[in-house]
Amino acid sequence: MVSRKKKIRNAVNIFILLSPWIASFLTFKLYPILFSFYLSFTRYNPIRGRPPRFVGLRNYHHLFSDPTFAIALKNTVLFVVITVPITTVISLLIASVLVSSLNIRGKQIFQSGYFMPVVTSMVVIATIFSYLYSPNGYLTALIKFFGADLKYGRGILADPRYALPAIMAMDIWASFGYYTILFLAGLQSIDRQIYEAAAIDGAKGFYLFRKITLPLVSPMLLFVLVINTIRSFQIFIEVYVMTQGGPLRATTTVVYYLYETGFHKMKMGYAAAMSYVLFLIILSFTIVQKLLVRYQR
Amino acid sequence: MVIRKDWRYRTKQFIAYTLLIFVLTTTLFPLYIMFATSVKPEGNILPTWDSLIPKKVTLRNYVDVWKSANFDRYFLNSVIVTFSVTFLNIILDSMVAYALSRKGFKGSNFVLLIIIATMMIPAQVLMIPLFILIKKIGFYNTYWALILPFSVQGFGIFLMKQYFDGLPKSLDEAAMIDGAGDFKILFKVLFPISKPAIAVLGINTFLTTWNSFVYPLIFTNTDNMRTLPIGIAYFNTIHGIDYVHLMAGSSIATIPVIAVFLAFQKQIISGLTRGAVKE
Repeated sequence: MVSRKKKIRNAVNIFILLSPWIASFLTFKLYPILFSFYLSFTRYNPIRGRPPRFVGLRNYHHLFSDPTFAIALKNTVLFVVITVPITTVISLLIASVLVSSLNIRGKQIFQSGYFMPVVTSMVVIATIFSYLYSPNGYLTALIKFFGADLKYGRGILADPRYALPAIMAMDIWASFGYYTILFLAGLQSIDRQIYEAAAIDGAKGFYLFRKITLPLVSPMLLFVLVINTIRSFQIFIEVYVMTQGGPLRATTTVVYYLYETGFHKMKMGYAAAMSYVLFLIILSFTIVQKLLVRYQR
Repeated sequence: MVIRKDWRYRTKQFIAYTLLIFVLTTTLFPLYIMFATSVKPEGNILPTWDSLIPKKVTLRNYVDVWKSANFDRYFLNSVIVTFSVTFLNIILDSMVAYALSRKGFKGSNFVLLIIIATMMIPAQVLMIPLFILIKKIGFYNTYWALILPFSVQGFGIFLMKQYFDGLPKSLDEAAMIDGAGDFKILFKVLFPISKPAIAVLGINTFLTTWNSFVYPLIFTNTDNMRTLPIGIAYFNTIHGIDYVHLMAGSSIATIPVIAVFLAFQKQIISGLTRGAVKE
């Protein structure tokens, strides 16, 4: 009898311990995901006060002929394929130099400095750069010095040709410190004796990097590529604060368009469909990257 | 290894330092501009060499945004939300972690699997349905909306579980013989010796919540419910060219995180790399 009582008590305890997670999972994860999936097959404007109306695949169908979505997707893919490689190269280079045999002094200072933008709010960063890119900004002055012809003395963000590259540059600035730290962790776990042995065999410089560092750091490299790709596909705050998708849609990204569709135009069903399509795109990119890891091993 | 001090080594070292210092300057320059502009008397914000260093330093802009632009309220909201979310995560994540680490129940691996899976759901899929849900249950434009959905998180559960797994089970057994129940073991025995993990969890939750933008943006609609990031974004859209005040507001949001970062670098970096090493 006593053991039975104990067993029940144990089960009750387990349930109480898990209950915060169970409640949160059901309410804020599982239900929204299922509801959103249903919503993506409906037309729903919460302002009108009518329940969602089922429209089948119309939202998805419409998405593929929506010219703004095409532009948003193009901008987002451009953003990913340009920023991700550049950020990766910069952060791997800096991490390699910091742990190299060059005996760099003040590692801690460099590391902390590079990391500072990472802890700073993206809204703050976007605000600072709005100023730097404005007609009165230092970066506007700089690119004018290098011969950029900005129209009518306006800032960088007002020019459709420069706006998206400007946001890309800012994103690289804001995020490379995070990946540098990850690469440092990866590089520091490599046994120094391997390098010493290779050095005795006469290997050096780039050869050493390609044949020893790169293969050993490749799990971290792929991790960095995956998380940076996922993050970059979701770029939103920068666009919201700096350009609101303009000028002339030059900086409209998928998540910004999703936000605009859902929260300005109040087309919630259509926005839900968009979120699922983006999710599938991100998922397929991630799977391809994971397969590449497996292929490499 | 013999340290070679020949000219080639020296040249390489010189190039390395040049690169590192150039990148460091580039990284710190925008942050410097923020602080420098925030203490300038209104006026000279033109991009000249001359205006790089403020000649007169004033805290006037800070007083202005704090008093008349409602930044005191934004700051208070940010503090309330950040501390509540951080506190709840420390308590609730640990409870779940304790069950997973110590209770060895049927289906615990399945629970773990679901936690991993939910960590991978991208935020934009949840944006629309969470907004509708928050409206429906009456949390819209309240602190509840900014706190409850984020009070239990996979990152913290994992972190604490990992740490608990590394603590000897003999501790709990000894306490159990003394008649302690699960909650007493968790909070009186394991908690005091889990400070490093709690610090990592607390500081990282603090940073992400303090800087959180998307959900506070869509869950609130009145000025007095805005947190600092939202307040800055709105100030930006209304007074877009009033840079001295914008930078003062931005500094108010940034000084706490930079202070926390400088004080707890080790824990922050360990929290960030932990996620990576797990993969």
